Amino acid sequence: MRSLEFTSLLLFSAIFRVILIIYGEWQDAHMEVNYTDVDYLVFSDAASLMASGDSPYKRTTYRYSPLLAFLLIPNSLIHRSWGKFIFSASDLLVGYFIHFILQQRKVPKKLSNYCVMTWLFNPFTFTIGTRGNCEPVVCAMILWIIICLMKGNVLQSAFWYGLIVHFRIYPIIYAIPMVLILDPDFFPSDQKPILKNWTAAQAERLHDGNYLYTLHNLFKCIFTRNRLIFGLVSAVVFFLFTGLSYYLYGWEFLHEALLYHLTRTDPRHNFSIYFYHIYLHYGYDISVMEKLISFLPQFMVQLVLIFYFAKDLPFCLFAQTVAFVAFNKVITAQYFVWFFCLLPLILPWSKMKLKWNGMLCILSWIGAQIHWLMWGYLLEFKGKNVFFELWVASLVFHAANVNVLTMVIRHHRFSSFFLGLKDAKSKNVAKHE
Amino acid sequence: MQSYFDRHTELHDSVFDNFISQEVNVGSCQMLPENHDFVPRLSVLKRNLIGEGSHRHVSTMIKFQSQQSESLSQILSSCDLIVIERLPTGVFADPFELQRLVQRRVFNEVDVFGDTNLELPSFLSNRSAVEIHPAVDPNKLLEPTDMKIELPLHARYQPLNESGYSMVELGTPDMLLRCSAKEKSKNQSCFFKLTNNNADVTYESDVLWRIPSGKKAHSDLVFAITFSAALLSTLVIVLSSLEYSKSRASKDSKQS
Repeated sequence: MRSLEFTSLLLFSAIFRVILIIYGEWQDAHMEVNYTDVDYLVFSDAASLMASGDSPYKRTTYRYSPLLAFLLIPNSLIHRSWGKFIFSASDLLVGYFIHFILQQRKVPKKLSNYCVMTWLFNPFTFTIGTRGNCEPVVCAMILWIIICLMKGNVLQSAFWYGLIVHFRIYPIIYAIPMVLILDPDFFPSDQKPILKNWTAAQAERLHDGNYLYTLHNLFKCIFTRNRLIFGLVSAVVFFLFTGLSYYLYGWEFLHEALLYHLTRTDPRHNFSIYFYHIYLHYGYDISVMEKLISFLPQFMVQLVLIFYFAKDLPFCLFAQTVAFVAFNKVITAQYFVWFFCLLPLILPWSKMKLKWNGMLCILSWIGAQIHWLMWGYLLEFKGKNVFFELWVASLVFHAANVNVLTMVIRHHRFSSFFLGLKDAKSKNVAKHE
Repeated sequence: MQSYFDRHTELHDSVFDNFISQEVNVGSCQMLPENHDFVPRLSVLKRNLIGEGSHRHVSTMIKFQSQQSESLSQILSSCDLIVIERLPTGVFADPFELQRLVQRRVFNEVDVFGDTNLELPSFLSNRSAVEIHPAVDPNKLLEPTDMKIELPLHARYQPLNESGYSMVELGTPDMLLRCSAKEKSKNQSCFFKLTNNNADVTYESDVLWRIPSGKKAHSDLVFAITFSAALLSTLVIVLSSLEYSKSRASKDSKQS
C-alpha cells in the first residue's frame, strides 16, 4: 500500500515535468525571456556539430565531456527536447534511487516519502531538468555509486566513479571517503557489506573515537583488495574516457572540458565571495601566496569533514558538497543540485525539527539568495554600480551556507553507513540470547 | 566584412574606412552610365540606445532618398541594405542571439566578425563588427524610404574606474546599398555608400553607454575581508565538527 504511495508520487512528478517541458517550449516561442537555459542551447549546438562529424568544441562555451554531446545527438534527429526528457528522466531516477536507499536502510515509509518529496518537489530540482541542465544525470550517477557500494559491487562503483569524474570533475572530492568506507571491517573478503539500519534511537555509541579508528585503520591497510580495485579501476576508467576524448578532439577538449574547470576564475558576478576580488585583480598575475590562501580554506574544510564523518558516508558526502560549493571560486545556481540530491539521504537522521530550526535554515538560505539576486538585478538590468553591495550580499550568502552546514552538523545523529564485523557479530549474539 | 577580416586581424577605424572606400570604388557600377549621379543620401539619421543595464538595443532610424532619374530605376532592379556596426571593445553582440533574429526574419542575414568572445572583460578583448542585412523589401529601397534597425548588444566587464562607471561610445554605422542590375545577363552588383552629408543627422539621445565598473579603491578592503571571511568560516566549520564529536564522546561516556 505504502509503496503505491511512492509510485503515485513518482508518477505525479513525471507528469508535472512533462507539462513543464511542454510549457517551456511554448514560453520559448512566445515570450522574450526563454524558459530554456542558455546551456541547453550550447549542448544542442555541440551535439549537432558532433552529429555532422565535427568537434563539439567548435561551439564556444561548450565545456563538457563529449559524452554529453553524444547523449544529445537525437536533439537534431528526433526533437530538440530530447535532452530535456533525458535530464528529467534522470531527475526521476534520482527520486527512485533515494527511495531505494532509504528503504534498504529500513527508514519508515512515511518518513521516507517525505524525504523523497524534498527532492521531487523541490523547485530547484524540477526546473533544472526541464530547463535543460545536465546536473540530474550527475546526481543519478552519484546515487548509483552509493547503491553499488551498498550492494558490495566495488567494481561497478569504481567504474561509475571513474566515469563521473571524467564527466564532471567535482566528484573527485568524494575519493577519500569512498576509499575509507572500503574498510575491511565493513567489506570482509567475499562478503557483502551489512547496512546499518535506521533507528529512532539516539546517536550510536562511539567506539574508540571513530576518527582515530579511521586514521589508524587507513594507514594499516590502505592497500586492501577492495581499495586497490576501487582506486585502479576508477583511475583506468577516467583515463580511458579522457584519453579517448583527447584522441578524438585533441587539445581543445583538454582545455575546455578539464583545464577550464580546474583554473576557472570568472570575474563576472556570481554568488561566490571571491568574484569581486577576482574582478578587481583580473589580468594581473596572481602570487603563489594568494593562490595558496584561496585554496587553503576549501582544502582544510574538506579534510576536516572527511576526518570526522567518513564512516557516515551519505552525511560526509552531503557536508563536503555544501562546503565545496560555498568555498568555490565560482558559484552558479545549478551547483545547488549537487547537494540537494544528497539531502534526502541524511534527513531521517536529523534531529532538526521543521519548526523552527528547519524553517530558519531554509528561510535564511533562500532569503540570502533573494537578497543577492536583488543587487544582481540592479547591477545587470538597471546598470547601477552596486558591485560593493553585491559582494557584501555574497558574503551574507556564504554566511547562510556556513550556518546551514553547522546547524545540520549539530543536529545530526551520527550513524555509520555499514556495520563493522564486531558490531555484526555482537548483534548476532544479542539476537541469539 | 569577411574579406576585411581575411586580410586584417583587428578592427582599426582608419584601415576600415580605406577598405570601404576601396570596395565601393571597385564595385562602382559598370552598368550605369559613366557620369551617373546616383548617390543615395540620408536625409535623417537617428541613433538611440534603448534599455537599461548591461543588455540594450542600439536603434538606427534612417530616412533616405536617392535623386536618381527614371532611367536609373530601369537599369537597377533591387537593392539590399547592408549596415556595418563597428563596435568598441566595451560591448559585444551575441552571434547566437542574432541567429535567432534571422530565424524570426527580423534580419535576412547577420554576422559578427572580430572578437566574438562572450565572456572576457573589455580590457582583454578586441573590437568586433556586425554586418546586418535587414529584412526589407529590396524593391522599396530605390524610393525614398525610412526604416528602423535595432541591434541587441551586451556590455562587457569594464576596466576599473575611480568613478565607478565607464563610458562607451558607439559610432555611426556604415551603410551600403548593394544593387543588382535588371538585366539578368549582367550578373553584377554594385555597392553605394550612403552618405550623410547635408543630412539632418540627429542623435535622439547620447549613444553613450554608461557601464558600471569596479573601483580600484575597493581592492585592498575586498581582498582583506574576502579572505578573512573564508578563514573565519573555515574555523567555524572545524570547531563545529570538533564540538560535535566531543559531545558524542561525552554522551557515550555518560551512557557507559
